[in-house]
Amino acid sequence: MRWWRADLHIHSTLSPCASLEMSPARIVAEARRARLDLIAVCDHNAAENGRYVRRAAGGEPVVLLGMEIQTAEEVEVLAVFADEEHAFQLEQELQQSLPDIPCDPDLFGDQVVVDEDGEIVRRVERLLLTPVALSLSEVVRRVEDRGGMAVPAHVDRLPGGLLAVLGLLPDGSWPEAVEIAPWTRLADAVRAWPELQGRAILRGSDAHYPTEIGRAWTELLCAEPSLAELRRAVQNAGGRAVRPSQETKEEC
Amino acid sequence: MQLQAIVEILGLEPLAAPDLGREVRGGYCSDLLSDVLAHAQPGDLWITHQRHLNVVAVGKLRGVAGIVFARGLRPSSDVITRAEAEGVNLLVTPAAAFEVAGRLHRVLYP
Repeated sequence: MRWWRADLHIHSTLSPCASLEMSPARIVAEARRARLDLIAVCDHNAAENGRYVRRAAGGEPVVLLGMEIQTAEEVEVLAVFADEEHAFQLEQELQQSLPDIPCDPDLFGDQVVVDEDGEIVRRVERLLLTPVALSLSEVVRRVEDRGGMAVPAHVDRLPGGLLAVLGLLPDGSWPEAVEIAPWTRLADAVRAWPELQGRAILRGSDAHYPTEIGRAWTELLCAEPSLAELRRAVQNAGGRAVRPSQETKEEC
Repeated sequence: MQLQAIVEILGLEPLAAPDLGREVRGGYCSDLLSDVLAHAQPGDLWITHQRHLNVVAVGKLRGVAGIVFARGLRPSSDVITRAEAEGVNLLVTPAAAFEVAGRLHRVLYP
């Protein structure tokens, strides 16, 4: 076992709010520069660019297929999968439950699928940056039923953070792990939300621009950078562990 | 004013009504449960669109007189069951939040 660096929260050109510089090749280049071993591309309610980022990376870093799902409660959840098939199944279900609002690029930005060579595959016409019609518990169930892992994103932040929106962690065993915002001090988060004590705390960059990749990450003590080992690290199984990076200086 | 009287005047439909004798002292409108936790007052009637199970916990923690779901939005049965067990009144109205808040304000502060 050794420590690996993971960032499960990176946006790409498919997120209207992200820069058009966030092509698969650029994401991979910046992730390598930031010495990341495991990344997930989590666009809003969409997984498609993950495939091309994975092709661009060729295994370095390891790329999980991900999405940042906005639930009916307007809570944002990172969903990460090892395989494309399950990610794309869920992506299709989510997009069927999105309201049919066209994406006006002047208002929201472009939603572009870009391949590993930087070629535009297609533009997504329906606005992705809006909640799906499924509740948080239904979203978590659908992720877990497909073998994915669901982690509430930047729980302490508005908009979209689970604690900021819902006030408390929901009853039950989920979530095992939570992501905190890049600028939140770990001690402050646990003081403000004592229920975080004893849960695995992750940090992601939530990068929308190339230079933001690497501003925050999570270190995983485990055997290899993979979804299975991430899960075991979150559970502290067999001496594995997770450790979020220091907070970034500024709110972004 | 007792919640029972407000239910009748505003035509609210009780979904869980463990204690309609609660005194209503004011109102609070918010869909952010963290905001309700921080700012709602005991005895407020809380008007919301949020239907997550946590509304019951937040309502109980703040000691609200009841929770009104606006625009006819109904929570799932587990939310109603939990509210009954926790002694939290749940009501629903087809009226929009602006409408029900305005009418409640007129009743409480004539």
